[in-house]
Amino acid sequence: MANVLDLRRRIRSVKNMRQITKAMKMVSAAKLRRAQERALAARPYARMIASVLESLTRRVDIVDPVSGNVRHPLFLTRPEKRVLLLIVSGDKGFAGAFNANILKTAFQFIGAHPDKEIDIEAIGRKGRDTMRRRYPVAAYSETAEAGRARLPRQHAVEVVGDHPGMLGKLETGRVQDLAHSVVERYVGEEIDAAYIVYNEFKSVISQRLVVERILPLMKIGIPQIAGTHEPTEKEKERAAEAALSAGIPIEPADTAEAEEEARKFGTAQVDYIYEQPAEELFAGLLPQYIFSMLYHAMTESVAAEHAARMTAMDSASNNASDMIDSLTLTMNRVRQAAITKEIIEIVSGAAAL
Amino acid sequence: MADDATQLRVRLVTPERTLFEHAAVSVELPSKSGYLEVLYGHAPLVAELGAGDVTLHCGAEGDQRYNVSWGFVEVLPDRVTILASDALKPEEIDVARAGQQLDRGLEMWKKAGESEEAYNEALRVIAEAEAKMASAADKR
Repeated sequence: MANVLDLRRRIRSVKNMRQITKAMKMVSAAKLRRAQERALAARPYARMIASVLESLTRRVDIVDPVSGNVRHPLFLTRPEKRVLLLIVSGDKGFAGAFNANILKTAFQFIGAHPDKEIDIEAIGRKGRDTMRRRYPVAAYSETAEAGRARLPRQHAVEVVGDHPGMLGKLETGRVQDLAHSVVERYVGEEIDAAYIVYNEFKSVISQRLVVERILPLMKIGIPQIAGTHEPTEKEKERAAEAALSAGIPIEPADTAEAEEEARKFGTAQVDYIYEQPAEELFAGLLPQYIFSMLYHAMTESVAAEHAARMTAMDSASNNASDMIDSLTLTMNRVRQAAITKEIIEIVSGAAAL
Repeated sequence: MADDATQLRVRLVTPERTLFEHAAVSVELPSKSGYLEVLYGHAPLVAELGAGDVTLHCGAEGDQRYNVSWGFVEVLPDRVTILASDALKPEEIDVARAGQQLDRGLEMWKKAGESEEAYNEALRVIAEAEAKMASAADKR
């Protein structure tokens, strides 16, 4: 049996660990609060772009009646042979099953489409690391006149790019560039569809993993969810407990009014004068719409990551407390046993006299 | 001064947040095809914005200016909503960075050659940089 000194040492080290996990939990809670605010603040813009686009598609035919051309190449659909898969994971670990779940969903998606060629683009370091280990990186020739030219693909699934550090400091400029490049690839027929895997975050207890199709555009304003994964009741309870102890409100802030207000953008029942012809408006709006979808996914994912880390760290702190309790009990028992033994020795020594 | 009944409600929304919501007598907007001014009772209009200054004329309170680049605007008789990809106050503009952006745009313009796409992209960058510099220089 371990002696008292060893046990005391172990208790001390577990206590230290608990302190660290507690601190990490509080840091995550603070970051979560900020991420939540940012996700909320980004909503009106996304909502407005979607509604003005939606109303425009209702008023203007997507296909030009005179020339018979589609007004914007993003409305074209092709058979899905090559698919771009954007994976939004976290930059860091220590977030429970957060990254593992995202990757699992991504692998399921890849597994479910063995007949398609899939380009993977990872946003977030954890996803990039895993994908790079598992799938080959696409080959590009750097010498080509036009900059980077894609060499013929060798494998069905290839990693085409990554954006480490994009989530840490979420800037609209970088997301804008990414949206631009996705649109360009679609227009240039390098890809036939684009999907994004991310963790949707409505509130601390209501989150789910989502595979959403961002291209081609079918119906504006309605997310095209290709698959979801909901957390179990037990996980939800755990998250709620963690949120409560960190002082984070469980229910999301009420934004129904602002949402309603934003939804009206560009949709009033009047005849608008369109300053530019429909083609030009579409050309300006559609990339913005793609951008707002990506930005939305990333802000939500960042909030979800912090929430997951907060929950995980809360569990870790609780486990440490339990461990300290049981170790303290064992230590007291050992000490008591030693004392008892000594007393017996003294008593029996005295009796022998 | 105009009374409250004939004031426009102006909102400026960027991807990150709603920047402000304010009442104004009239608004100047940098539409892609030139500046336009909106007064109370304007016909409903949807327009794409270029790079330039949004100016709110608020009557006695004085004017407010924002440099915006790219976006959309919805005009209703009593309400103006501006969706801008980027919006800055004139005093927030980093002139040195705008200068670099202009150089980059000119560089792109030179390299564009026959490609119409690259040419347009270069023109966009130049327009944005020039609008920023003009707006910063025009401090009132």
